[in-house]
Amino acid sequence: MSMPLDDDQIEIIQEFATESRDMIEQLEPAIIELGQNSDSETINAIFRLFHSMKGSAGFLEFDHMTRVAHAAENLLDMIRNGEIDLVPNHVTLLCAACDFAKEALDMVESDYNDDAMVAPADDISEQLHQAIELAKGGDEPQAEVEEESISAESAAVAEQPEKETDLLQMEITDEMRLSFVQEGNELLQSTEQGLLAWGENPGDIDSIGDIFRNIHSFKGNCGFFGFAQIEKLSHQMENILDRVKSGSKLAVDNPADQLLASLDLLQQAVNNISDGKEDTVENLDQHLNDLQTLIAPLLGDFLVEEGVQEKAINHAVETQKKPVGEILVQQGTASTEQVNSALKKQQDKINKTKATAKPAARTKTPAKRQDIRVELGKLDSLINLIGELVIAENMLIHNPDLKGLELENFNKAGQHMSKLVRELQEMAMTIRMIPVSGLFRRMIRLVHDISVKAGKKVDLELIGEETEIDKTVIETITDPLVHLLRNSLDHGLEPPEERLAAGKDEKGTVKLSARHEEGEVWVTIEDNGRGLNKEKILEKAISKGLIEGDGSDMTDKQINNLIFAPGFSTAAAITDISGRGVGMDVVKKNLEKIKGKIDVYSTPGQGSKIVLRIPLTLAIIDGMIVRVGTSTCIVPTLSMLEAFRPVMDQITITPDGDELAQVRDNFLPIVRLHDILGKKPDSHDLADGILIVLESQETRFCLFIDEILGQQQTVIKGLSDFIGNVPGVSGCTILGDGGVCLILDVGTLVDSAENKKINFEETKENI
Amino acid sequence: MAEDTTLIHSDDEDTQKDKYLTFHLAGEDYGIEIQYVIEIIGIQNITDVPDMPAFIRGVINLRGKVVPIMDVRARFGIEDRAYDDRTCIIVVNIDTTEVGLVVDEVSEVADIPESNVEPAPRTSKNSEDSYIQGMGRINNDVKILLDVHKLLFSGEMQELAESLEEQ
Repeated sequence: MSMPLDDDQIEIIQEFATESRDMIEQLEPAIIELGQNSDSETINAIFRLFHSMKGSAGFLEFDHMTRVAHAAENLLDMIRNGEIDLVPNHVTLLCAACDFAKEALDMVESDYNDDAMVAPADDISEQLHQAIELAKGGDEPQAEVEEESISAESAAVAEQPEKETDLLQMEITDEMRLSFVQEGNELLQSTEQGLLAWGENPGDIDSIGDIFRNIHSFKGNCGFFGFAQIEKLSHQMENILDRVKSGSKLAVDNPADQLLASLDLLQQAVNNISDGKEDTVENLDQHLNDLQTLIAPLLGDFLVEEGVQEKAINHAVETQKKPVGEILVQQGTASTEQVNSALKKQQDKINKTKATAKPAARTKTPAKRQDIRVELGKLDSLINLIGELVIAENMLIHNPDLKGLELENFNKAGQHMSKLVRELQEMAMTIRMIPVSGLFRRMIRLVHDISVKAGKKVDLELIGEETEIDKTVIETITDPLVHLLRNSLDHGLEPPEERLAAGKDEKGTVKLSARHEEGEVWVTIEDNGRGLNKEKILEKAISKGLIEGDGSDMTDKQINNLIFAPGFSTAAAITDISGRGVGMDVVKKNLEKIKGKIDVYSTPGQGSKIVLRIPLTLAIIDGMIVRVGTSTCIVPTLSMLEAFRPVMDQITITPDGDELAQVRDNFLPIVRLHDILGKKPDSHDLADGILIVLESQETRFCLFIDEILGQQQTVIKGLSDFIGNVPGVSGCTILGDGGVCLILDVGTLVDSAENKKINFEETKENI
Repeated sequence: MAEDTTLIHSDDEDTQKDKYLTFHLAGEDYGIEIQYVIEIIGIQNITDVPDMPAFIRGVINLRGKVVPIMDVRARFGIEDRAYDDRTCIIVVNIDTTEVGLVVDEVSEVADIPESNVEPAPRTSKNSEDSYIQGMGRINNDVKILLDVHKLLFSGEMQELAESLEEQ
């Protein structure tokens, strides 16, 4: 492929790369699953994936990828056919093949060829080849080995002379063969579906037409390629279908089952062909006979045998074509009335079966999901535009010029528009969302690899795979998830002996879950290992100078958060899995990028739980607009529990100067919003303002404000990058009057409240 | 929108060469390269953002976009002055970051050929010279030409900018 590529070709190659990546993503979990229980369905699934990869790679002349996929396919085929037993080494090899494919795809995407992958391709196909050899133990070495010879192409060529086609020794290239197999598979598949539908609903003539056409094309292909055996079989099937189509009688009422059995044979033969074997069909003659018996001989044939003249018979057949009723009437054996009423009954019956059959047929064919690949940039600008539309709509409906006017029709139109805009926005938001299942499934492979390397037994549980997260967010949390899982497996879970000694199940469990909570997406990694070692963390933190003092005044939460400091690692030895202390730092950095937060929970001896709390991007939130002094802010309604005007009896001031409000049985700390914003409130007196009870991460506190102005749905906009992250503020929104309004971040308000308290205490001590 | 403007600028680079937008601030005339300027708007209601350096006055809504506002007086440590109807916000764009600069009064777009630009004085008592790109002469007038990049990102904003670049 030395010639320069045009844009079309590049596009095809890129498409190929994305598709193949999707396939690899499916492949990996399937391979791991295969290692655990080798049921035939999984093998088939893996086989198909490798096969399709081989197909498209072959088409684009990525020979090295084709080679490896082919070798993997061979191994799988032998396992599938029970010729060799699956051993763990095979799983590792297949995983290696996936890795190779990934690397090759990287290469393909940058250079548009995989020429540089010669050495690894040789290596892996050689290994796969050896694995087959080894497993077979040299029982039947020659026949199969030829196929495994390193180049798939040469294998195909070597087999060519064995073909039955003596008449026309046509050069059938590997590519042609491949396209035959692909097309054949498609044809057989649709035939199968057609047959199944027809079996349920024999009256449906249209579907028979489809089946007939499919089989006919298949037969044509077989003939062209000289696969005589399957050609014969499909020809016989075609005969039967032809009879059915023309309305003739068959020996059985519904031959669909028989035809399906034959179809399976065809499928098997096609599979064989795709593996570079012969198109042999076992017991072909027997099947052909079976099919022949299905065809009820025509009456005419018997009559000829009896010596009746063919002409007469033809005439009889001609007459036969007239409706039965007419013949009967002609012969005077039945009155017209009788025939009419009989016809009517017949029609009714047909209508009835049609009526019952139709809905059944419809449920048979599931709605096909259609996807379209769109450049992410386009989507982003669409979503930005919609965001601006929401703001523009807000500015229009809440336009200050309209204040005090009675505009009934305008309001009606406005409401209608608001509804549409809201729907449009919700729709736009879901476009970018993809389920986390892809991400989670990638982790299966990781967990498998690490558990093998670290010698630990692990069960990975995936929960909430269907939860949808923004695509870029998924990309950002991939690395953090990898690091966190590595940590859980390497540090968290104990080796089997230690677990048994601690009275736990030998097999550790790691739970990976995703769900919506408080307007965020929570991705949780939970293990039932030994938990975080607080003493060790503190010791390390002190020795690294990360904290001052002996840490005795730190809360558990603060200690746990120390693990996110850069360069922090309590691991005694650096393994090749983890221990360099970079991981958790990456986790924190990436989460900050998407304005997410991390909570760490740990119970010594029972395990630890890490929650990644990720905001939904471009979320609309329901917000309460509050005022303090001259500035307004938005408090997310989700975290609001209640609001009340306090009476002084409810307020307690501790000796430390902390203000607490009694809400029923609880004392909640009071945070003054004007302190956080650095503003002057209407009044410093708590009794003059309003307290809002807010909850974040199971912590409750009261926020002191002057007044609640109203409620509004708002679009979160980031504060400019120039400003960066502002503590206590999660973003901003644009109000109806065009002004910018900050959205308070309830989570960090708690922290800043705590910090304020600490500062306050420190200054008091200094005095 | 940000991309659009940068595109236009790169197309028009030649016509924008040696052109400066000049403005008035506390008795001095300053100039910034026209290629960074997006638009000039009158002073509007600025929303405070807590925990910001004093010269970051807050954010405004510019047609649905949230743009941070820097007060150039405060940036240079010049005494505050109440905003009036001559006060302007010059919206500049550097590397897709948009920032509004509050100045006392916008004067004109001036042509200052390279030959008329003297390098910035090396020694100065004030720290502000770090923002100075050069001194431009138009007849007998002298305009202080500002380095917009340094104006936005050096000093207190540097740390922030660096942490953003890392990402």
